[in-house]
Amino acid sequence: MANKLDIQIRAERQYAVLETAGYLNDALGEKLSKKALELIEKGYTQLVINLDKTALINSIGISILIEIIEALEEREGTLNFCGLSATQERTFRMMAIAKYAGIFPDEKTAIANF
Amino acid sequence: MRVSSAEETIQRLIFSLSELEQLGQTLISGHSNFNVSSKTYLRITLGTLQASGGAIYCFHPSDNHLTLAASTPESEMAPIEIEQTEVETLLECSLIALDTPPEPLQQFIDRNAELMDGNVKHQLWVPLKIHDEFLGILSLGGLFGRAKFEKWEQELLNILAHQISIAIAYSRIVEGIQSEKFRLFMLAESAPQICQLLQPEDAAEQVVHQAVALLDANVGGLMLIQQAQQKLELRYVFPPTLISENPGEDDKDALSIPLDSDTSEAKESDERTSLDMLAGVVKEGKTDRCFTKPDNLFGGRNLMAGPIQGRDGDILGVLVVGDKEERGGRTAEFTDEDEVLIDSFAKQAGVAIENAHLHQEALEARQLQTEMEEARKIQENLIPDTLPDIPGYEVAGHYEPRGPVGGDYFDCIELVAGGWGLAIADVSGKGMQAALLMATLRAGLLSELSSARGREHDHTLDMKNELIDMAMTLNSLLYVSGTEEKYATFFYSHLNPETDMLTTLNGGHNPPIIVKNGGSIVWLGEDVGGLPLGMFPNDMVPLIAKYEAEQTKLESGDLVIFYTDGVTETVNIDDEFYDEERLEQIAKNSHGGDAPSICNLIYESVMDFQGDADQFDDLTLLVLRKK
Repeated sequence: MANKLDIQIRAERQYAVLETAGYLNDALGEKLSKKALELIEKGYTQLVINLDKTALINSIGISILIEIIEALEEREGTLNFCGLSATQERTFRMMAIAKYAGIFPDEKTAIANF
Repeated sequence: MRVSSAEETIQRLIFSLSELEQLGQTLISGHSNFNVSSKTYLRITLGTLQASGGAIYCFHPSDNHLTLAASTPESEMAPIEIEQTEVETLLECSLIALDTPPEPLQQFIDRNAELMDGNVKHQLWVPLKIHDEFLGILSLGGLFGRAKFEKWEQELLNILAHQISIAIAYSRIVEGIQSEKFRLFMLAESAPQICQLLQPEDAAEQVVHQAVALLDANVGGLMLIQQAQQKLELRYVFPPTLISENPGEDDKDALSIPLDSDTSEAKESDERTSLDMLAGVVKEGKTDRCFTKPDNLFGGRNLMAGPIQGRDGDILGVLVVGDKEERGGRTAEFTDEDEVLIDSFAKQAGVAIENAHLHQEALEARQLQTEMEEARKIQENLIPDTLPDIPGYEVAGHYEPRGPVGGDYFDCIELVAGGWGLAIADVSGKGMQAALLMATLRAGLLSELSSARGREHDHTLDMKNELIDMAMTLNSLLYVSGTEEKYATFFYSHLNPETDMLTTLNGGHNPPIIVKNGGSIVWLGEDVGGLPLGMFPNDMVPLIAKYEAEQTKLESGDLVIFYTDGVTETVNIDDEFYDEERLEQIAKNSHGGDAPSICNLIYESVMDFQGDADQFDDLTLLVLRKK
């Protein structure tokens, strides 16, 4: 797994999708947080984070995801995750992220469930 | 300048109480992350105190830096460094007017005021702290409509600053708990996951990935011991681009560490490198770490390594992680807790890696077994099941490989042009390679015999030359087919049953015995033996020992015994060889019987002699008897 950090954004009228690629550590996490907060500032309250191309997340990455959830909650928004590996899904459930954000197998389902 | 009336003061007090309640609710609302809630805290503080602008700075004790958490109006600021003495001064103060700061802070303010001010000229700092733990600074700009704080406003400011301090401390505690929860879960989750991986390469990759994530590292690697070369060899590195990014480290071989160097002396020295550390971890079997060392291994400024141990406690290698990060992109040192964590994880990794290697070995053994079975089938087809009837002669053979695939060969071939070819050979080595060389020899022999060789020759010299030419052809064939260590001893006999003339050529093989009808013994090819086939190139053969052929006329009752060294070199439990003398004796004793019974008698004699000792080599007998 090459650690090429990248974020792709697909913003539609009602929602926006942020797709990460690479190790979700501080560097990628901060990028993600900045992009997500920019979208929230623009008025987006329905966000999808697609982690299909992110096989590895560390504790800082997790804390940044929690931060994005909290920022969205302040605006009464919703965050859905998709593309998680089985381990990532278990981690998200154990870390209570799944209590505050949706987890879906793919982008289409994540968007359909806002 | 406005003067506060009593009514105005009461209204502001009511407003402040309501804002304080909101602040309390923010703290307990579950929005624990201060990065998210800091703007709310600042907004409430500025609103309550009617300040025109301000900022909250958070202190990071791991590297003594201040970062901007929130500011009004919004601005950005790169982390700024703060000295320990400056932190201590801040801890001693409750309010700091920036135009008359305590002397130890003057330099810090001069150095950073412009950076920290953003778009508002800050006038007042309130250190954020709980007991003696410094957490940050609440900075305020000008007061709206008045020059200075009333006493009750100062008290309110202290309460607000305390609330913000609690929020920062709470956020850090929650973050710490989340981080530990994540690590513990990862540790528990990773074990079954990596133990399921059956390919050593996959196991190595996953072990490194999990370790990197578990320890908030940015680089990692797995090095395993190469016992034969006594060195640590890199098996996987994260990120994979790391090797090519390091000048001179363009392949994995460049990242191998010899284990025979003495690291103990270097360990006491400041010059100890990360290479010494890794070799030391393997030698001592203990986790270790180093920070900012002269070499650039793994590109890491900050490395920690744990020994990878197998089930029986043997050190298999070393797991290394580096460049631990903190929020904000700062590099942190690994802690004692991290050492415990990598130690626990490395134990699981050891089991996973050992499992994967054992699985790989089992697969290879199964593959080898399949190949050996195939080789055995090939070889079975090369050894004749039955031998032909030669007019006026009896012929019998026995072949017993030591393992599933042997290296002996014998055959009795009726030649198209008339006459019979009797061959016996012993290919060096065992297994698939020996079987392939034997197949090559047999194919070459059959090819030679189907051409001009073997036609009836009236002239003795022509027949001998034919055999010598054949030997040279076969020698060349085997030489180019195998390695230097791969060769075959070979004895070939051409029998003309009409003339009873036996023309023989010895290529380094054990000389066959002729037991004459009268009981006398003749050793065939003993004095005219050439080199084994395939040992030297053709142009060197005449210089060492050229091939020669000889001719013997067989008479009624004569017995020719061809054999491989598995007969004469059979060892008994007293480490004695069966040797040529015993063979000669049993051959003499068996004289008078038919070829199959003589063949069986010799075999039984060898087996009796061997007793409970192991069979060390393939055993082959070919018996020819002139009726």
